[in-house]
Amino acid sequence: MMLHRHRGESKLHLIEEASRQEIDRWIAKYPADRRQAAVMAALRIVQDQNGGWLTTDLMDAVAEYLEMPPIEVYEVATFYSMYELEPVGRHKICVCTNISCMLCGSEEVVAHLEKRLGIRLGETTPDGRFTLKEVECLGACVEAPMFQIGNTYYGNLTPERIDEILDALD
Amino acid sequence: MNVITRVFKSLFLLELLRGLRLTGRYLFARKITVQYPEEKTPLSPRFRGLHALRRYPNGEERCIACKLCEVVCPALAITIESEEREDGTRRTTRYDIDLTKCIFCGFCEESCPVDSIVETHVFEYHGEKRGDLLMTKDRLLAVGDKYEKEIAAARAQDAPYR
Amino acid sequence: MVNIEINGIRIQAREGSMVIEAADEAGIVIPRFCYHRKLSIAANCRMCLVEVEKAPKPLPACATPVTEGMRVFTRSAKALEAQRATMEFLLINHPLDCPICDQGGECDLQDIAMGFGESESRYREPKRVVPDKNLGPLIATDMTRCIHCTRCVRFGREIAGVPELGATGRGEHTTIGTYVEKVVSSELSGNVIDLCPVGALTSKPYRYTGRPWENRSHPGVSPHDCLGSNLDVQTRRGRVMRVLPRDNEAVNECWLSDRDRFSYTALAHGERLHRPLIRQGDAWREVEWQTALEYAAEGLRRVRAAAGADGLGALISPSATVEEGYLAQRLLRGLGSGNVDFRLRRQDFAQEEADPRAPWLGCAIADLEDMDAVLLVGSHVRKDQPLAGLRLRRAALRGARVMFLNPAEFDFNFPVAEHLVAAPAAMVDELAAVAKALLEIEGTHPPEGLAARLENVEVHDRHLAVARHLHAAQQAHVIVGTQAFGQAEFSALRALANLVAHLAGAGFGYLPEGANAVGLSLAGALPRAAEPAGRHAGDMTGQGLRGVLLLGVEPEYDFADPAAARRMLDEADFVVALTAFATDEMKRWADVLLPVAAFAENEGTFVNVQNDWQGFAAAAEAPGEARPAWKVLRVLGNFLNLEGFDYMQVDEVREAARAFAGEVEVKAATAWAMPRWPAPGEALQRIGYLPLYHVDPLVRRAAPLQGTPDARADIAWLGEAAAAALGVADGARVAVRQGGAEVVMEARVDAAVPDRCVLVAAATPQAARLGPAWGPVEVSAVKEAVAS
Repeated sequence: MMLHRHRGESKLHLIEEASRQEIDRWIAKYPADRRQAAVMAALRIVQDQNGGWLTTDLMDAVAEYLEMPPIEVYEVATFYSMYELEPVGRHKICVCTNISCMLCGSEEVVAHLEKRLGIRLGETTPDGRFTLKEVECLGACVEAPMFQIGNTYYGNLTPERIDEILDALD
Repeated sequence: MNVITRVFKSLFLLELLRGLRLTGRYLFARKITVQYPEEKTPLSPRFRGLHALRRYPNGEERCIACKLCEVVCPALAITIESEEREDGTRRTTRYDIDLTKCIFCGFCEESCPVDSIVETHVFEYHGEKRGDLLMTKDRLLAVGDKYEKEIAAARAQDAPYR
Repeated sequence: MVNIEINGIRIQAREGSMVIEAADEAGIVIPRFCYHRKLSIAANCRMCLVEVEKAPKPLPACATPVTEGMRVFTRSAKALEAQRATMEFLLINHPLDCPICDQGGECDLQDIAMGFGESESRYREPKRVVPDKNLGPLIATDMTRCIHCTRCVRFGREIAGVPELGATGRGEHTTIGTYVEKVVSSELSGNVIDLCPVGALTSKPYRYTGRPWENRSHPGVSPHDCLGSNLDVQTRRGRVMRVLPRDNEAVNECWLSDRDRFSYTALAHGERLHRPLIRQGDAWREVEWQTALEYAAEGLRRVRAAAGADGLGALISPSATVEEGYLAQRLLRGLGSGNVDFRLRRQDFAQEEADPRAPWLGCAIADLEDMDAVLLVGSHVRKDQPLAGLRLRRAALRGARVMFLNPAEFDFNFPVAEHLVAAPAAMVDELAAVAKALLEIEGTHPPEGLAARLENVEVHDRHLAVARHLHAAQQAHVIVGTQAFGQAEFSALRALANLVAHLAGAGFGYLPEGANAVGLSLAGALPRAAEPAGRHAGDMTGQGLRGVLLLGVEPEYDFADPAAARRMLDEADFVVALTAFATDEMKRWADVLLPVAAFAENEGTFVNVQNDWQGFAAAAEAPGEARPAWKVLRVLGNFLNLEGFDYMQVDEVREAARAFAGEVEVKAATAWAMPRWPAPGEALQRIGYLPLYHVDPLVRRAAPLQGTPDARADIAWLGEAAAAALGVADGARVAVRQGGAEVVMEARVDAAVPDRCVLVAAATPQAARLGPAWGPVEVSAVKEAVAS
């Protein structure tokens, strides 16, 4: 038998004040009874707040804040590859392996990255610096092969250029 | 004319002689009588005799209680009860074939998705009481264990035509 | 209406309806997996693709609205090609394990693959495997078989109101699950078994035991709640294999509650009584029916001779059939006693004469959906009558104000406009405050005797809100719920609820306990229903009886005061129990135990709260010598040499009961009479909540239901203030004491329970040793032994 109030503890406190203000900005863009429309933005914001990945508790907090069932937030978070559900490195390298990049040599890019970092696709270096990830088309076919690190696109990749880019990162 | 022919034929025992000719031919022809039970005829690999339940080489019974043999049986000779075994697999708790009902049509064998229920080449069996002809799961498995080699050989032989 | 043409057939379709609905109405088959008429449209399985004239590509029939002059082809080359291609994609990741799949034989995927698929697969690559989920003791999962139709997900969100299932991941990695594993806690969860078009969600109790083609279908009626849900009882070789819903839009639509669906598992319980037993000193002897009935008749006659007819009494389960109730009351009245009752959990019989003829709902069950405002008094309708809860949920989601007055803040899966929560005795004042607010709105004077009382009653915003909602609504209804029936303030609550309904111009009705409270009332199984009149259940237990006839009852569970019921039986000279189960407890006080058929083995009639007389025949064989109770009562009548016990068929008894009932007026509202006002005491009050999986002997023995979280009974729920006063923390052990008995339970602290109250459920093994379900109780912390 269940009574009304006997529910889990509130997790709202997990959302930091700055994040909350940003989420509110997004909520304001939608009609008042459509708070859940801001779920994607909210997830991105709390992901950034948490160092690039989402915990179940954070997703629950978003669900609570947007007044939607937690499972619907999980659905969104697991659907899009931009949301990370496990800890990632400081730099997330998203290598495009779609057709344009593949034709221009994305396989070599992946091979070079794997060799240099000593990890496979989908893994994180033991020092927590890099995560290597295979992604679908990022819409930058004009400079294929390409990858994205953080919010920056790097195109026309060659092994030398990759080394240059990675060396420049902390 | 007809009358003359008939009289001629019967006067010279022609019909009798024709009959005796056939008898004579078989008298000297090669004999095909099989001296059963000392001698036995060869059996087709598709021969439909006594039923058996087979096992996999590791000893696991094949039957998964899908009940297709039960539903396909035109004589309603098969009775199956099933439940989830402790390891979570689907198994029979009861598998009876009433041989007094069975018409040996072989549908059960054909319907079986895992080659579990088969009809062996064994046709020499009997029962002294009526209950002896009710094959239970244990008895069917025992038949299968006993003749597994022959069953497997017969299936292998027939496999190209299935 | 819109004119369209499907496969050359001209059809009139409702404007705004989808092509698939029009086709279904015209009997044209379009294959589908995700579309279900009771669920929202998802259009994600793509199986219903059809060709539409002038559309460049095939369109999903379930998501294409009809338009004037539309021409649809469901079997054209283009449509068939699209369907075949969809089928091929669906089968890519579907395992070929039909021989061990419980859905085999009634599987939509199997059937549609046969009708619309290729005969051979071109797919040679490995298939995916998805780990199974733990969805509790009722539903078995084989998630590898899932084709992502999301019917279960939509059912959870839209119908059951438990948005716990979802589709996570994308593309081939999509899985249906709860992400964070939790046991699906809906009282309607079993419906996803019917909804699942493949074998991903199947019934756990039925798992691997049968095949659909070997089951025989029998129409049945649910014996667990007052709605009378229609069942399809499936049997094999005389045994109930499973229970499915039978469509009836007026009652259960196509749904079924878990209680109705899985209670059959108790039919094979080890406590089933197979042969009549009679007491011989301290020993029990199995005897023939003849001997047992002679013994029973002789005993009853002896008691009557010694103690008079008033010493005899019959106590009947509220889920007994009309025929059983009718014969039992005729038997008792034939012996000269009017002591017959089924209202076993009621303790407040004041104003019994104000009871309506039968506890009607006062409107059709389906009408609950169309209400604009509903006030339920003492009801956890979601659990008490899950399918009535479903209707109210629909109303609430539509914008209707569904309001409650409850002794604790029960959990609901729909928006509750107002939830008035008060200690049992204070509920009367709350309701009076609503009445006072309504009187002010209406500007009328309070009825006789109430004015003085209302002076002390304060009207707060919440009462005003309830009053306004009820008053403003086009269609409003006030319902006295199952939980209220047991309360010590029942008569006052009922009178005031009646008044509130009257003042607000709303309908009034009841949702009583048991499957047949209405039918038994009409059949005369009440002390005042015919001559001679007799004592009600409360007096029978309180004042005692010399000879007792019990029908389908376990006194330590089914009475308002288990302790008093036991005392009454211990002191009685002769007890005859017609029962499906024999317990050690029964063997302590009974003299004759007569085995009777239960649930699907029985035949008879239930009358639901909207006056549907739903008859049902026996679907399964009763075990051993057990017989339908109406036959037992009929022959017992013969042994007692009573007149008119010569029925041959159950129909004859039904007709006799119907004739007895006569013209029936379906009206629950009664005139005002000033009730006795409860005096709020200082003592801690027990809230004797009746939990859904403990309502009758069958449900209490259904192992799968007992494994659900809803069945947990060993918890004492305390409000925060009460817990603090007692020094009890959440999860600590407490001793609950009533009438000399003490039970140790786990305490839960919950703000949902009002002050000076403790919620200890009734009808549980723990409560069986306590006193009245509603009344004073003592609770104290148990000193944990300190480990040294």
